[in-house]
Amino acid sequence: MKTIMANRRWIKNHPDLGTGPVPTETCTSSELFELERERIFRRTWLNVGREEDLPEPGSYVVRDLAIANTSVLLVRGKDRRIRAFHNLCVHRGNRLVDNDKGVCKGRFVCRFHSWAYDTSGQLTWVSDEANFYDIDKSSLGLKPIAADIWEGFIFINLSPNPSETLTEYLAGMVQQIHGYPFGEQRLLCRYRVEEKANWKVILDAQNEVYHLPFLHITYPDFCPMNEQNFSRIQNFTRFGRHTAYSVELNTDHKMKPVESIAVNANPRGGQVHPTMIGWFDFYTVFPNFCMLFLAGTYVTYNIWPVAVDRSVWEVSMYHPATEKPSERFAQEYTRCLLRDLLQEDASNHEAIQASLLSGALTHFQLQDEEIQIRHFHKEVRRHIFGEEDRVSVVSNNREALQVGAK
Amino acid sequence: MNTQLPQGFSDLEQFVEWALPSSTERNRKRRASSMDEINPFYDAMLPRLEQILAYLDQFSLREMPQDARRLLYLSLSLAEVTIAVELFHEPKVTGGCDPERFVVAREINP
Repeated sequence: MKTIMANRRWIKNHPDLGTGPVPTETCTSSELFELERERIFRRTWLNVGREEDLPEPGSYVVRDLAIANTSVLLVRGKDRRIRAFHNLCVHRGNRLVDNDKGVCKGRFVCRFHSWAYDTSGQLTWVSDEANFYDIDKSSLGLKPIAADIWEGFIFINLSPNPSETLTEYLAGMVQQIHGYPFGEQRLLCRYRVEEKANWKVILDAQNEVYHLPFLHITYPDFCPMNEQNFSRIQNFTRFGRHTAYSVELNTDHKMKPVESIAVNANPRGGQVHPTMIGWFDFYTVFPNFCMLFLAGTYVTYNIWPVAVDRSVWEVSMYHPATEKPSERFAQEYTRCLLRDLLQEDASNHEAIQASLLSGALTHFQLQDEEIQIRHFHKEVRRHIFGEEDRVSVVSNNREALQVGAK
Repeated sequence: MNTQLPQGFSDLEQFVEWALPSSTERNRKRRASSMDEINPFYDAMLPRLEQILAYLDQFSLREMPQDARRLLYLSLSLAEVTIAVELFHEPKVTGGCDPERFVVAREINP
């Protein structure tokens, strides 16, 4: 599929997204941040890791999720099933596990009064049990959190009764990506970046390639360009709450000397898997998980809100498992290149947040190549305001918006 | 003579201080160096790179002699400085955020 260079093409397929400016208020308002906490992060499916993070029975990982006001204990039981629990002792609420990961050979023991739980969450020991009144250990296990796995990615849902299964939630993404060889890939590195920026400011910055020839001035030909040298994506697809945009390989890209040797040393790195739409596919899995497929490798982002103006951006880079030195060299080249391009991106996040906090900019102006961002903000607003969000109703009509603002 | 690299790569001995095992160390060395220090390393490595990779491919990452492993680390440092030489023409990411903010939480080092 060749990239179509025409202007204003995506809105024709997605007229419901509107063409009006998009409010910035969700990036600055503490009240709306609290609504995001309740209506997005405590109700939707959140990626918290991969099953390789828990390789053997007893393996556990603790994730402290500030946005959900909880600490999550993920543990693989003796039956090899991965379960999620609130990381707290049901006696009086002490934090149960302090380490961020490990292998539990026997039981999780609370250091307060030595209550103990097995790796399936069952309460197995209560100290001085006979001195309690009518205590029933079998009904007092760790507080469970809904958890499910898709293609090796572990998701949790903090709602006591999730309204959708994970598969229903992921919608058409499940079919699109099914068959991608995640199992052949290994985590090469993970970066953790603390940012003084709203989580959506970070996500939006990645959710388009309009900025490529300007911000990434030393690497401008990543993406095919139109005659005016503006980038054009190859595809934009919505899967329920989620989106994918794709970029075609730019065959005009001029390779530098070491880059060229790295590319040749890495034949698997250049292979575009049949599940991919373009040469580069970027999925935004609502709300805060992104998957980037870049020829033979993939990268994930987990963008964790901490406060309305603070986030943690986790960048995980996966490459085909290898014992071959030349392939490892090529992977290192890709890793350094991506990291540095992301450091260019990160230079803007905090500046944008600081500007937005001034209150001077009430709306973002978005073009057709930023339709991904338009969809994303519409989803955020739909979750916090419901279907009757006034902006989405009037956003096709500038005059109406102005009237609505009075 | 004290040789730290495999036979046939003695011309690169002068750069052996770039043989650093972790990406954080390699990145910090790049940023602490001037282009007058980086360019000679890049210029010396580039014409030897295909030979280096062919030599290293005799071994697996899991099992390789110490001198070959140093040569591998040199090549990984080349991957690091290549971005400075081929893209930014200066050691740091031009206009980038403070690179120390990108904290390595996990990595596999060969």
